[in-house]
Amino acid sequence: MFQIISDGGCDFSTAETQAFNVQVVPFYISFDGNTHLKEGIDITREEYFSRLASDKKLFPKTAQPSPQDYIDAYTPHLKAGRDILSVTISSKLSGSHNSAVLAANMLRDEFPQRRLVVLDSQSASIGQGLILKEIAKMKKAGFSLEKTADLAERVLKTTRVYFTLDSLEYLRRGGRVGPTTAFVGGILGLRPILHLEDGQVSHLDNVRGKKNAMRLISEALTHTLRDDAQNVNICIGHILKEDDAVIFKYDTETSLGITIDNEVAEIGAAIGTHTGPGGLAFAYCKKFESIVRQENRGHIQPAAHSLEAESA
Amino acid sequence: MNTWFIVAQILGVITICFEFASYQIKDKPKYFLATGIGSFFWTLMFVAIGLATDMSTQYSLIVAATYSTVRNLVFHRIFSKNTPQSKEAGLNFLLVMICVAVIAGVFTVMNAPPEVRWLHIIGLIAALSFVIGQYLPGVHYVRITVVIYAVVVMLTQTPLNILYGDFRWNVTGILIELAKIVSVVIFYYRFASEPRRPELNFAKP
Repeated sequence: MFQIISDGGCDFSTAETQAFNVQVVPFYISFDGNTHLKEGIDITREEYFSRLASDKKLFPKTAQPSPQDYIDAYTPHLKAGRDILSVTISSKLSGSHNSAVLAANMLRDEFPQRRLVVLDSQSASIGQGLILKEIAKMKKAGFSLEKTADLAERVLKTTRVYFTLDSLEYLRRGGRVGPTTAFVGGILGLRPILHLEDGQVSHLDNVRGKKNAMRLISEALTHTLRDDAQNVNICIGHILKEDDAVIFKYDTETSLGITIDNEVAEIGAAIGTHTGPGGLAFAYCKKFESIVRQENRGHIQPAAHSLEAESA
Repeated sequence: MNTWFIVAQILGVITICFEFASYQIKDKPKYFLATGIGSFFWTLMFVAIGLATDMSTQYSLIVAATYSTVRNLVFHRIFSKNTPQSKEAGLNFLLVMICVAVIAGVFTVMNAPPEVRWLHIIGLIAALSFVIGQYLPGVHYVRITVVIYAVVVMLTQTPLNILYGDFRWNVTGILIELAKIVSVVIFYYRFASEPRRPELNFAKP
């Protein structure tokens, strides 16, 4: 058996970490550059975003878990004879992946009989969460660590994450849009739509007005998924917009004719620092079962295992 | 008939073709390229009319058409590059152009005869709405605002100077504005009969 470990980029709730048996290594949040709070432990997501919303001048920073944090998380499982599959937020968004790889390399000498795989999710937040949920399902189905890691690599290639935000302000602060664009966009009521592309946050488009944005997103999502909705795992997330997220989930279920199993998720600081408070997110990926079915039908050639360098 | 006047009509027909085609295009960079080229021929048309008649009556139109050409081609460039830097530069450019247009518009309104001042004010608002509509995302704003703008242009500019009771009968000028309106109508007819596609595109899983 193996243990699934993730960094806090997955935005799992406490209930989800228990339900999927995933251990989370939290990110650090600092408002002043001196005090570092562990997300989800020293400060809740709601507290974090409420502070952000109430103080417009606040520009917090997040810091990745250190290699020591990963060593502390990995060691008890290795000592107990369990292998580890560790999933991190995109290495293009954070140094968390590097910390995890460093920790794994240090522990391999100490536990040469154990296998330790570190996987770059190339995603974040609810996208990373979906990958973890698929991994948890594979584990439950009795897949080996190697097979799970191999399939997880395919799942992550099908993972898409999109966000729509209430304003362009935080994109301006992060240098993703210029001051004039943010100012004029604010006057015109433009809502940016972002996506995770190649592991990075990119600005996809702007849509005018909240109602219009929700309508266009819903149309596009239905158009994209309607032919394959049964084979897709979907998750809806929000930043202090739970009511909107619940309505969006219901609308998506109705338009696609499916039930979304995942509860509406709260987006955490790793992505929220880029976006600020107020926004909606959704992510989808192929269910691992559909990938296996395709593979069995010969539509997918088994991939060469690319994790060799990282696995013991 | 003056040769330059005939040249102006030919240039006008070329403008019609580009303007008509531009409102059938959904892709923004291509739309700006088509309408930018159209504006360029539109500028040349006014120069030709100036050479045919009296250049002094055409200066303001030549400036306005050059302004359109430059604006459309700059928009084409920024929407093609589609980077945060290009968008920011484009928006700064747009704001400067709007300021210039507002100042020029205010002077035009002030110098207009009092009985037609209201129409010039509508013209100014229509022109500004159109430019902002061009910049806004989606395909609709630009098409709605261009129709209003085209009607106002027909009423206030050379083609149909109705309120002054001075029909100049620059037929091509009228047709250019009509072509935009007809093109928008055809676009919506096509849009209604075509299967609807979402304005946003999300990647397949």
